[in-house]
Amino acid sequence: MTLFTTDDCVLCAQLKTQFDLAAMDVQVEVLGNNDAGALAHLAWHGLVEKARKGLPILVLDDSSALHEFGHIESQLLDRAASRGIAAKRHGKQAAGCEAGSCTLQ
Amino acid sequence: MGVVMPLNAETVQARTQRVVNEDSTDIALFVRSSQDDMTGWNRQRIVDALLRETFIDRDTAEKISRDIEVTIQAGKVKTITGPLIREMVNAKLLEMGLEEARRMHTRLGVPLYDVDQLLVQHNKENANVPHGPEATNLTLAEGIKKEYALLHVFTPDVADAHLSGDLHLHDLGFIDRPYCSGQSLEYIKKFGLNLPHALSMAKPAKHAEVLLAHMVKFAASLQSHFAGAIGWDAINLFYAPYLEELDDDGVKQLAQMMIYEFSQQAVARGGQAIFSDVNIYWEVPKHFVDVPAIGPGGVYTGKTYGEYEKQAQRFAWALFEVYKEGDAAGRPFFFPKPLVHITEKFFKTDGHLEFLHHICEVASVKGNTYFVFDRGDTAKISECCRLSFKLEASDLEDAKQPWKMRYSALQNVTINLPRLAFKAKGDDTKLFALLTEKIQLAAKAHEQKKKFIERLMSLGKGGPLSLLAMDLDGEPYLKLHRCSYLIGMVGLNELIRVHLGQELHDSDASIKFGLKVIAHMNIVCNKLAESLDMKFVLEQTPAESTAFRFAKLDLAHFSTEAEKVVLGNREKGEVYYSNSTLFNVGATMSPIARVEKEGLFHPLIEAGSITHIWLGEAQPDKEALAGFVINVFKYTQNDQIAFSPEFTACLACGKTSRGLSEICPYCQSKDVDGITRITGYFTKISSWNKGKLGELHDRYRNVDRFNN
Repeated sequence: MTLFTTDDCVLCAQLKTQFDLAAMDVQVEVLGNNDAGALAHLAWHGLVEKARKGLPILVLDDSSALHEFGHIESQLLDRAASRGIAAKRHGKQAAGCEAGSCTLQ
Repeated sequence: MGVVMPLNAETVQARTQRVVNEDSTDIALFVRSSQDDMTGWNRQRIVDALLRETFIDRDTAEKISRDIEVTIQAGKVKTITGPLIREMVNAKLLEMGLEEARRMHTRLGVPLYDVDQLLVQHNKENANVPHGPEATNLTLAEGIKKEYALLHVFTPDVADAHLSGDLHLHDLGFIDRPYCSGQSLEYIKKFGLNLPHALSMAKPAKHAEVLLAHMVKFAASLQSHFAGAIGWDAINLFYAPYLEELDDDGVKQLAQMMIYEFSQQAVARGGQAIFSDVNIYWEVPKHFVDVPAIGPGGVYTGKTYGEYEKQAQRFAWALFEVYKEGDAAGRPFFFPKPLVHITEKFFKTDGHLEFLHHICEVASVKGNTYFVFDRGDTAKISECCRLSFKLEASDLEDAKQPWKMRYSALQNVTINLPRLAFKAKGDDTKLFALLTEKIQLAAKAHEQKKKFIERLMSLGKGGPLSLLAMDLDGEPYLKLHRCSYLIGMVGLNELIRVHLGQELHDSDASIKFGLKVIAHMNIVCNKLAESLDMKFVLEQTPAESTAFRFAKLDLAHFSTEAEKVVLGNREKGEVYYSNSTLFNVGATMSPIARVEKEGLFHPLIEAGSITHIWLGEAQPDKEALAGFVINVFKYTQNDQIAFSPEFTACLACGKTSRGLSEICPYCQSKDVDGITRITGYFTKISSWNKGKLGELHDRYRNVDRFNN
């Protein structure tokens, strides 16, 4: 499972705070100006255009992708629960995504 | 040893101004100094030229002129010419260690032997240029401008990188022009044909045929100011207000006139054909729906373009009827290339399936159709072999006044990817460092070309780019501040083969590493764009001659490594690298797998990509192709596809047959020529360079892939 994010994406930051992603074995790919590997990984999943419209994106182990924040949060909650890791629903709280910070620039 | 004056900004400025102020006719008269004997010899001319063109001091110039005079007298030279004197002076400058002065005093020209060869033999660097006197003029002029560019526009490090084959500066022979132009018909609908230096001015057209005449002339003018393609946006929509008075036969006649006018320009003009693209929409694009329509006489019709959907569709349909018929001999038209945009709205527009079948039939029968996929909210204008300009917010604002919509790429620089792998020797860090270095060099080349074009543009309406400086709508026709700067790539497949020992189609690991290379290019371009405030974007290089040139140069300079990966037939010299990010053309892959996998790269290459599906003799049914196109739109990331059949044109009986053969199946004549797509357009195979001939031989034809 891979979570595609950027450093200045407020929704991504919320998920990183909300979940212990490393413990949940969720790979975090930070898209930005320095990581060709992360961008290539995104392209491999055919998600570049989707990421230009909105982040975060969660790619599941079957290679399907979730784009809606609520769906991503639910999926991560399920995964945390299945591994006995504490986490709770916060809902979409971030503001500022309208300015484009939650997209691949 | 002479003294070289210090080079500072003031002296350069003064010198530049002096050159600008001189009439080029005077300059030409000065250098044309061929004499039958020593009569009229005046060594002062050597001194004057050295002082005017270089920074050496007067004493050194005087000394050189005296030395040359002695040499000429001692040699009892019977015929003395300007070029000969200049060669002698240059040799003297070299002898004295004045390398920079020699460079500045260089004479640009062509050896007699080369001119003789050029006049007789066909130059195949660009298959789009027929052989003839006008074409040889073009080649000769290009040769001189190319030398000028490498000596005077670009710095030695950039020029050396081009000459050695680290990268390729495209269209050096057109150094004084931007690369390509995409625009709207609205400009001439609104302003008429009102071009600088024209002997007459035409008001906005009142009739469809006149509008066509204006369009063709304007396209020809633009072709002589740009190196590459001339694209027209939503052509069927913008013609629509002129079509209301025409019946279906009239619309078909207009479509026929347009296609013939553009396709026959190469013969009529003698030089390069107008590399023309027409963007076609079945639906009215969202950004034009509420835009007031301009009609006959340049007057608003009182309707919006949204109300012209049916008229636009009539014209689109008629254009493809003409394409399906082909020319008088049944051959496909080479130009204008029709690019049909497949969008979300396309599938919601009445009649789309019938139209899709219609254009797929053309794709199968003649191959003309290009399918451009604009998914989601994407809107773009496409041209050239695969170039596209994605419309940004400011462009969509311009769309409210569509005559403002004009887009240009200023230059294209391509990086030789396999060579980087030769040098990296399997080391990832070194590979990416080298790649960064070459992208930076490409950006430097772009800065230098930009500076040169800015200088020409600053001369305004009295300068050589007066057409691009015209400002009928308050802005120069060429919007320099919005130009793109293209960075391309050749041979990703061979880079992977050298670096990983596999080709792109061999494994997922190869594709993933290939994606990392292109992602790195994308990221470095973005960083440079930000730091230099220039729009650097990746484009899949068409590489009609570059793929051949790089392969040849690498075989010469990196023979041990290159011999293992260069494609084609080395014995015949028909060698090439795979174009851009394309997979090996000979790889046995299903067409959908090729489209899907090559398409993974396309979103990273923002200025355009394409996947070719080589059909050979196959002629799939239109329903099969339509289903394929729909699947590509829905399930892949592919930017653009084209189906390419092959034809044999008989020069004896004039008939055209399917497939490539050495003998005409109708009259058994051997006087035949093949026709198929070279890199992004149809042309005659006899005009192809050796590299492309090698590729043609290797292409995997999807002969049985579409027939159920």
